[in-house]
Amino acid sequence: MKWWVSKAGDTTGNISGSGTMEEAVSKSIMLTSLQDLVAWGRKNSMWPFHFGLSCCFVEMATSITSKYDVARFGAEVIRGTPREADVMVIAGTVFIKMVPIIKRLHEQMMEPRWVISMGSCANSGGMYDIYSVVQGVDKFLPVDVYVPGCPPRPDAFMQGLLLLADAVGKEKRPLSWVIGAQGVIKPQLTSMKDRKREERMNTVQFRGIDEV
Amino acid sequence: MPGHKIYSTPLWPLFLYAGIVMLLLAIILSLSYVLGQHHKDRATDKPYEGGIEQTGSARLRFSAQFYLVAMLFVIFDIEAVFIMLWALGFYELGWPGYIGASVFIAQLVVVLIYEWGTGALDIGINGKKLLKAMQYRKLNSSQ
Amino acid sequence: MRFANSILQHLQDHFSADVLQQQITVDEIPTVWVAKEKIIPVIQYLKSNKHQSFSFLYDLCGIDERNKTKKTTAPPSDFTVVYHLFSYNQNHFIRIKVALRGAYPCLPSLSSVYKNANWYEREVYDMFGIRFEGHPHLQRILMPRTWEGHPLRKEHPARATEMEPYQLWDEKQDIEQEALQFKPEEWGMQRESDDADFMFLNIGPQHPGTHGVLRIILQLNGEDIVDAVPEIGFHHRGAEKMGERQSWHTYIPYTDRVDYLGGVMNNLAYLLAVEKLAGIKVPDRVKVIRVMLCELFRVASHLVWFGTFAQDVGQLSPVFYMFTDREKIFDIIEAICGGRMHPNWFRIGGVSQDLPKGWEQLVRSFVDHFPKQLKEYNNMVIRNSIFRARTRGIGVYTLEEAIEWGVTGAGLRACGFEWDFRKKRPYSGYEMFDFDIPVAHNGDCYDRSVVRVEEMRQSLRIIEQCINNMPEGSYKADHPLTTPPVKQYTMQDIETLITHFLNVSWGPVIPAGEAMSCIEATKGANSYYLTSDGSTAAYRVRIRTPSFPHMQMVPYISKGYTVADLLSILGSVDFVLADIDR
Repeated sequence: MKWWVSKAGDTTGNISGSGTMEEAVSKSIMLTSLQDLVAWGRKNSMWPFHFGLSCCFVEMATSITSKYDVARFGAEVIRGTPREADVMVIAGTVFIKMVPIIKRLHEQMMEPRWVISMGSCANSGGMYDIYSVVQGVDKFLPVDVYVPGCPPRPDAFMQGLLLLADAVGKEKRPLSWVIGAQGVIKPQLTSMKDRKREERMNTVQFRGIDEV
Repeated sequence: MPGHKIYSTPLWPLFLYAGIVMLLLAIILSLSYVLGQHHKDRATDKPYEGGIEQTGSARLRFSAQFYLVAMLFVIFDIEAVFIMLWALGFYELGWPGYIGASVFIAQLVVVLIYEWGTGALDIGINGKKLLKAMQYRKLNSSQ
Repeated sequence: MRFANSILQHLQDHFSADVLQQQITVDEIPTVWVAKEKIIPVIQYLKSNKHQSFSFLYDLCGIDERNKTKKTTAPPSDFTVVYHLFSYNQNHFIRIKVALRGAYPCLPSLSSVYKNANWYEREVYDMFGIRFEGHPHLQRILMPRTWEGHPLRKEHPARATEMEPYQLWDEKQDIEQEALQFKPEEWGMQRESDDADFMFLNIGPQHPGTHGVLRIILQLNGEDIVDAVPEIGFHHRGAEKMGERQSWHTYIPYTDRVDYLGGVMNNLAYLLAVEKLAGIKVPDRVKVIRVMLCELFRVASHLVWFGTFAQDVGQLSPVFYMFTDREKIFDIIEAICGGRMHPNWFRIGGVSQDLPKGWEQLVRSFVDHFPKQLKEYNNMVIRNSIFRARTRGIGVYTLEEAIEWGVTGAGLRACGFEWDFRKKRPYSGYEMFDFDIPVAHNGDCYDRSVVRVEEMRQSLRIIEQCINNMPEGSYKADHPLTTPPVKQYTMQDIETLITHFLNVSWGPVIPAGEAMSCIEATKGANSYYLTSDGSTAAYRVRIRTPSFPHMQMVPYISKGYTVADLLSILGSVDFVLADIDR
């Protein structure tokens, strides 16, 4: 599947493929509800790929263990081979020596596949503005969700996974490559920063640091 | 079979069953081919080896230990075949058959114990023996 | 001092005085400059003489001296190669420096004298372009094979934003993959023996069992490993070059991420060297707070090791128990430091804030609850017969081999040698604490595991002593170079305000000199060798990490074992990729 980099606020880049929005919406009820059923199935069983680069991977592993337990949300099985995995979580810094390997593994993943960029180093190079680190994994891979943090807490990673699951539930993917309109229609995503602005503005009580 | 009457079993359920299995196979394979998206990048068809090109191919001359294990398996598999054939004629053969089969099995058990003892079934290093050898050497060298 | 004088006297007797020149450094490690032609005989003499045999090559690094501004008594050089040797029987370091001139100098290789010099020299070649004559396989180790330039040279750009933005097109991808492919002929390996072909298997950078981005290429005869070649550099973040761009104070977060399971312990290693250079003596309360947090991180790191090692060997449940315990440790660390894995909480001359009220109950509840958990893990993992079958007698090495290859930490103690830098060269107040050093005798994977579990118990003892005896006092030293200074006086006194502002924005100006600290980190001996040119940033930061020599030794100890045993060996070596590649 061909992809291209698009800016976050750009609405035109979200629809790709040979069909139009109207065509997709006006398809038969049976096929649409079947698509929704399949999307619901995909959303609740996003299997991550066992790919850890750096410190963020330890926090991702912590989110799989008992206290945070991301298996409740369907990410039960962590697959070691890219052909069986759904979500590739780039957890950690993107080193220049690793770039061809990451690209190759991404190419070997089967559709449908998504990419979560976890941690500051994967989002934009983080605090490592240095010769051997690529400033962000979106320089060569299409990213669906960015999770900030250094490292992000396991809760933050789970929130990123759930946001992606939400978006996956609303996606429209073709049921077959021979029938129906081709191309993936993705929903519009807004940043959590904008969504939670109200709540942040109204928070006036903060816990002090001098008491446990 | 205890009775002496031989009655024929009909054959058509077997063919029906085979036919249903074939149909199911065809449905599953064609549905998997047709459904879902197709995806072909440059590296999609290449084998997965941790993200790197492989060195050499997998069509090699295998190491002799695998042939040894295969050979031993064949011996015991043929033993299983003979035992199954004996089981078919169990009631007709009676006690002499039983004693003959036991002798056959007992010989092969002796073969199995011999192989186990000489280490034909081992793969890799035995850690306990290595440790014992090292301690023995340490004791000898300290004297 | 007496030892330093005696060893220098010996050296001067053996070799004439004009090839040796002494330099005085702040950390009182005897430092000698040796001429290039005499370096191999001098080091061979130091290694083989009976009274003070320097059997351990601790570190080998290079320094690019071309931008130094302060004039010193040292001989003029464009590049310097520094050798740190350690003598176990005299408990002393010695530093040998060789002055080199020219843009791309060369030097005889030390790999015939010390086996572990191999990778260190490859790293110096990769980072500086200094060639070593007689090296068996001089090739880049940290940067990709297709990289042009040598990063730690002063003319090489440090920042990615000083170079072109990164792009990956198809042909570049092909070239890179071609460079990464393993060619056995380069390493002198045969493709086949008389009756079987060898399979070259990549236990690639992406693998569930390698604990990170490590690549090991195995030459297999069936299931047995004939030879192995580890390839590192997939985790190189340029921490040493970063030290030259950041001020002494703002470099502290980068140290956290060198051993990312060790957290604050890495800050301690860096700050001990900075404080030696600056001449700061910290109060007792700071020492005890630092020791307590370091030991908490040691327990947390060993728990990660334990869980993942049990998982590698086949037990899938223990990792969940251990990570739950680790969460309890993180509750304490979050309450005290504010962050979980990378708190970067220590500062030059002290710690960042005082301990919060109520910390004692939190730490005490952990200390009371954890020994029971350790007992449960002992029964669940260490006494399990499958675990024993997979780790006893696997990856065995003797004490002489361990010292030759530069193994420190639990790997050394499992060979029967009772050596712990916290006891033998105490730092940051460890001499005030009462704890034992666990030792085992066989040097296999099982013994390393047993030693680490016992180390967790001893760490608990130390933490309990910290709770019972926390001294009162200030949490920062009262010294002009303490960064940032105690905030209380900043608001009242203009001098303190100016110092605070300058130290935080521009950076403290640490006096010129060089110092090396050596601590017993979670994985082994960790050192920061800092060279200061009297400015606000370090001139050279050299991080000697324990996992680098440990990884170098892995092919040597895994020959003849099967692939399944290799996974046990890798787990028991307990490395962290960021520790190997920095």
